[in-house]
This record gives sequence, structure tokens and C-alpha cells, in this order.
Amino acid sequence: MKLYKKEGNIIQILSFPNETVEKGNYLLVEDAEAGKALIVQVIDVQFASIPGILEELLRSLPDGGELIQGEDFDPLEIAPHITYIQDASILICKIRATVENESLSPSSSWLPSRSQSTIRKLSIPTLFKLARIDGRLPIVLGGTKDSSLLTIDASSLDGRLNIITGKKETGKSHLSKLLMLNLIGYKATVVVFDLNGEYISLGMTADGKRNAYHDKTHVLTPSQNFKVALKQLNLHVLLEILIHALHLPGTSAREFRRIWQSLKERDMLNLHELGEAIRNWHCNNHVRDALFSRFYALVNSGFFTDNIAEATFLEECLFKAKEQGGAIIINLRNTSPIDRQIVVEYLLGKLVDLLTSWKLKAVFLFAEEAHIYLRETYWDDIVTRMRHFGIFTTFITNQPDTVRENIYRQADNIFLFNFTNENDLEVVSRAARVDAETVKSIARDLPPHQCLVLGKVVKDFPMVVKVKALDVKTMGETRLFFKEMN
Amino acid sequence: MNTTLPQRLIELSLHSLKNVQNQTFQLNQQNVQQTNSLETQTNALQLKPQPIPLKPKREETIVAAVDTSSMKIGETSTGMLIAVRGATIWKQNRYYKYMRLGPFIFHITEENKKELYNTLQTAYFNHQHERTHHGLINLLQMPTRIANLLERWLQTMLSKTVNNSLILFDGSLTSGTPDTPTQVMKEILNTARKRGNSVLAFSKMTNLRVNGHLITEIVPLHKPPYMLETTGLKPRPPIVLLGDVYVARLTTGNYAFRLDIDKEVFSEQKVEAVEKLLGNDLLSQSYPETLRLSHILCTFTANEVIAMQHFIARKYGLKIVNRPDMHRLLFGPFGKGDGNS
Repeated sequence: MKLYKKEGNIIQILSFPNETVEKGNYLLVEDAEAGKALIVQVIDVQFASIPGILEELLRSLPDGGELIQGEDFDPLEIAPHITYIQDASILICKIRATVENESLSPSSSWLPSRSQSTIRKLSIPTLFKLARIDGRLPIVLGGTKDSSLLTIDASSLDGRLNIITGKKETGKSHLSKLLMLNLIGYKATVVVFDLNGEYISLGMTADGKRNAYHDKTHVLTPSQNFKVALKQLNLHVLLEILIHALHLPGTSAREFRRIWQSLKERDMLNLHELGEAIRNWHCNNHVRDALFSRFYALVNSGFFTDNIAEATFLEECLFKAKEQGGAIIINLRNTSPIDRQIVVEYLLGKLVDLLTSWKLKAVFLFAEEAHIYLRETYWDDIVTRMRHFGIFTTFITNQPDTVRENIYRQADNIFLFNFTNENDLEVVSRAARVDAETVKSIARDLPPHQCLVLGKVVKDFPMVVKVKALDVKTMGETRLFFKEMN
Repeated sequence: MNTTLPQRLIELSLHSLKNVQNQTFQLNQQNVQQTNSLETQTNALQLKPQPIPLKPKREETIVAAVDTSSMKIGETSTGMLIAVRGATIWKQNRYYKYMRLGPFIFHITEENKKELYNTLQTAYFNHQHERTHHGLINLLQMPTRIANLLERWLQTMLSKTVNNSLILFDGSLTSGTPDTPTQVMKEILNTARKRGNSVLAFSKMTNLRVNGHLITEIVPLHKPPYMLETTGLKPRPPIVLLGDVYVARLTTGNYAFRLDIDKEVFSEQKVEAVEKLLGNDLLSQSYPETLRLSHILCTFTANEVIAMQHFIARKYGLKIVNRPDMHRLLFGPFGKGDGNS
């Protein structure tokens, strides 16, 4: 390999066919004289612009597009040299760091010698050693291109905002399960908004037996084993539900506040009394109608109960998880859109309450397709206010444009699977910890189950990893009509 | 098939390169393909005003062509590195096929040029023809000389191989030059004739003029394809013309070429040969595709030149040095090489 060109923080390297370099590989451009080296990552591989190549190609197809038949008597065996030159490639590389005296700096301000520099592949373990990517709490994500393991530190997810994105069937949920299970293994509390019931069998192996996580995964299905008593609710949480999930107008909300306070003073906070209070409350009929319609929506959701015994499971699970680590999986599969919003509003409010009062230390929240159930104002809340309370969110989506731009800008880690659509890549490339060229070039060519890891978990050295398999029962398979026939 | 010449070419190529190991060499600053143009003008040249009309004859006939190419690929402290390649192409049953020889790479110096050329000439001319001008060969002429030797050999082989075919040469049927002895050319034409072949030689460029006008630029009001016969062309000795010279305009458009056809062939046969060419080969811009392909196949592309330089550097340890181009150095963007000086 030979150093060819440098423009900004992009360098071009001439590579020959016997040097197998792929997108995502790291190279070390070492200038012994300067005592420095550049760590660069290959973000694209192109044909080298060889003079005369067009003539060469045209010459082989002069007969109406058919290859001309013939015999070459090439006694000096020049032909292999011709193909060697023809197949030379240019590696477009992004400068990631400078190594000087075994320490890394993000500088790309110096120019290595074009004639004297040596270029060699940098193995992932060596890079990790240089970048000091190690961990007391290792999570093995999978294998890298050079067959070494990519191990991240669980603490690099702590207090961070993460995004897992990629097109359908590329392995996003698989990776989120891998992260979750490892976090549980380190006694973390994990809450999952499970939109499609994909996580409900995490406690089972692929062949249906109990696994090590069985006792640590708690599946909560709203209106079944997950109910709430009005007495447990804070008024502000219920008002959030009424205003944001059920779109209660401001005037009606004020009346509701009065009704609630009246019932609370009399210790009569239950569904029956609430219905009666609305019926008998002195107010405008339109307000009463508005309150009644919301009241029935709450009742019909089945999520609210007057039986306190039925409504303690969430806290029990959270406290159990706090002690020994665990995942609370909120199964939203058969929940209607409005009920989903009610549940999410309640749960987020509850978590904030528990965290504020230090009943919980911190929670890792995994939110699949959050745009479906998360109201507009929560996006900013999650990345700012809730993060300070200790809710560390991982968004999982196959529609990157549904996640707000400021979420990308503040994301600490991005796990990017394959995208072919330019617009999708454009959205992801707005993330602050990513350069657009890397995202666009590498993500487009990622095969299924391979993921480009960006951000703090890899100390800003983007890595391509083949996510390792998990022995858990998968529930994310799509129901197919022709499955039997195939 | 007699393989004496290619065998000698390989031996001499390897031998010459052995003596150049671990030297430095400079890339050629003007990668111009060497071409050969040797024509003799006489004042009495005339063009018959009446064109010979041509009708394509579809009778199945093999069309074969030969061309060679040479190129200087670098300079060493003692001489230069050149490459030579030749190609024979033939069209049979509507398909083109080729045989390509080379590239042969030589390191030519003032010291070895004589021996090298002598050996090649001996291998080809079998000692029976007069060898001349050795001492006078300019080093810069060597690529063309060696390419011409290879071309004559390929032409000989082709004339001995095919029957009742059309053989197309690049250039004219002029002989008596240092690398085209009359006897050699006569033998090629005799052999071809005996086997029922017709030799047609197309010149891409000509200096022959009538009343000051190039013969290929005189356009009579006649619809192509046709030929115009020339008369009165008498070259000065030792140059000998072994063909009758025509101007051939074979397709519509303003392209015409000097066409030499074996003198010893009857006039009707000459016309018939061109008509068979029209009926059996593709013609674009009045030039036969077979001949065009032979040229394309032997010409060196820039990619191949780099590959040969790579081969030499790898195999013989030659170190490439890039000495400044004096023209560029002195004249900047105005220094475009010897051709413009």
C-alpha cells in the first residue's frame, strides 16, 4: 500500500490486489522519521484511476459487445502485471487519530511522508489496546472483520443515550436483547417498551427451556398483570395522561383537578367515586361530557383498578430488579394506541417518581419504535430531564426519520445496521458523533446482522461487528401466510 | 510453423534485460507510439480520372491482417528499454480471432544494438539476404526496426498459412528499405500468390501528391465504393514498389486511403480482391475492421506501459527514477516535448 493523497481528514491509499482491505478496516500509516502514525479507517474502496484503462476495456470488446476470441503468446508473462495494475484500488480513508509516543490524539494536522511511510493493517485488538477500549464490565457484541471479538464496557452505556437503527430484518432487536441481557447480568434495571411482544420470551432458550435470565425477566401486560389504582397515582401523572394521551382541554383539566382534590381530601380516590363525582359536579355540561368521555376511556382501558392488591406488581418487579438486576418488559402487543400512550405516560411518570425519591438508582429504558407511543414533548424530556433522573434510553427504530434530530445530535452511541435509502442515511448522519461519509459509505454495504458501532462505546473508532447469536427464544418473527407451503 | 524469430526475440529480450539488473531507469517522458512511414515521391505521378467502381462480393473469404507496434518504455543510463508486440487477426465465419505475440521487452544500448539487430535479422533472413546499414542504425530507430522485423515475420507466416484469402498489411508494398529487403517482400508476395491469397496494403498516411494535392484528398464525383488507379510512380533505387498503387474510397464519407495491391496479380483479380474485402469485412471510414483490430490489439495502452515498467522493476530490480523533464523544466507549460521543440 502507498500513500497517495490527503485532503482534509481524508486520505487516499493506493492498494494492490494482493492486499485485501475492506471497508471498515483500520490501517496504520507510520512515518518512522516523524515518530508518528495515523490511524485511518477505510470508508470506501474504489478502482484506481489507471491511465489507458478505458482503451484496455474497449479493446477486449470490439466485436459488437462479444469478447474477441484469440491466443496470446506472452513469453515474459506481462499479462499478470497488467491485471495487477488494472485491479489496483484506491482506499478512501478517514483519519481517526494520531499515535505519538503510544498515546492517541484526534489530530490530523500533520502530513506523513508519502515516500517513506509504511502502511499496514491495524488489528482490532491492537487498536483497542491503543485506544484503551477495555472494560471492567465487558459486553461481547460479536466478531469483527479480522475475527477478533468486539467487547464494549457496560459502563459506556451508563448515563448514555443510544440509538439502534437499521432497515427491517437486519438484527436491531437482536442487538437490543444482547445489550439488555448483558446489562441484567451486571444487575442493572432494564425497562422495555415491547411493541410487538418480541421480548416476552427472553427468559427462555431457543428450544423453550428456562435460561439464566428467566427469573430476572418480568413481563407486564397492561390490564392483565399490570394495573394501576387511582390511589397510587399522582395527580400530575393522571393529568399528563388526560391532557396528552386523551387530549383533555385545559378548562376541563382544571375542573378535573378540583374533583381529584375533593376526592383525595375525602380519601375516596377510586373509579366508582370518580365517576360519581363527575356526574354530580357543578360545572358546564360540555366540561362534564368531556370529563365523562375521558373517564370512560380510562375505565375501558382496563389498566385502572380499585383493587390495590392487583396494582403492586410493577413496583415489586422494579424493586426486585434493583436488588439483583432484571428486565421489566411492558408488553404493548395487543394494546390499543390510546391505551399504549396511557401506559407509557404512567410508566415514565412512575419511574421519575421512583428515581426522584431514590427508590431506584437508575433505569435503562429500551424503547422500540418510540414515535408510536411517545408524545412530542417527551423526546426532549428523555434526553435532558429524565437522563438526569437516571433514565438512560436506547431507541430502536427502522424509521430513523421518526426520531427527532436533536436526539441524534445528543446520542452518545449509535448502533447502525444496513440502510440503502439515501434519506435514511442522511438522517442518521446528523448525529454529532458520526461523520456523514462514514455512515453513508459503510452502512449501505452492511450485510444483515452486521452493525456499525459509533460513539463512546468504541471511543469514537467506528467498528463493524457481526452481532453474536443469542440462545433465547425469538418472538419477533413475522406471521406469514405462505409459511407452511414454503 | 517456423518459430525461429519469436524464439530469438525471447532469447534476446531476456539476454538484454539480464544486463540491466539493479540499475535505475527513468520513465519515458514522451510515450509516443513509434510508427513507420517511408514513402518515395516521384514527379510523374498521375491519377486516372475514371474511377473503378466496386461491388461487394459475398463469396466467403477469410480476411486476415497483420500489424505490429513498438514503444519506448524508459531510459537507463546506458540505453533504453523498448517493447514490441505484433498481432495477426482474421475474420472467419463472421467471427474475428486473433493471435498476439509479445510484448517482448529489450534493453538496447549503443553496445548491443548491432548484435541484437544482427541476430534477429539473421534469424529471419536466414543469412541469405544482404544485411546492411547496421552501423548506421540510430538507437532511437531501434524500436521501429525491431517491430518491422517482427511484422515481416508475421506477414511471412500468414502468407504461408492461409489459402485463397485476403491478407491485409498496414502500410505500403514498398521494399528496398533496411528492414524490408526487396527479396524478403517478394518472397512474402510470391508465397501468398501461390496459395491463392491476395495481399492488400492500406496506408493510413501518404505523402504522394498529384499537382500538389495529396492523392487521398482528390475526390471525383462518384459514389463509393471505388478505386482510383495511379500511374507514373517510379521510386528511386534502391526503393522498389512491389504493388500497384490505388486510392481506395470504400465507404461514403471523406475518407480515402492509399491501397497497394500485389503487382503480379491480374487487374481483374485486384479488383475482385477489393470487392471480396467489401463483401467479407466490416468497413468503417473506408478502413477494414480486421486491420483496425490488428492495430488496436498490438498497440500499447498506458496501463500496459505501467505494467511493463512494474514487471521490469520487480523482475530485474530496476529502480525507477524520475529525472526532471528538461522541456517542462525550462519552458513550463510550453515545454511539451521533443515534437514541439
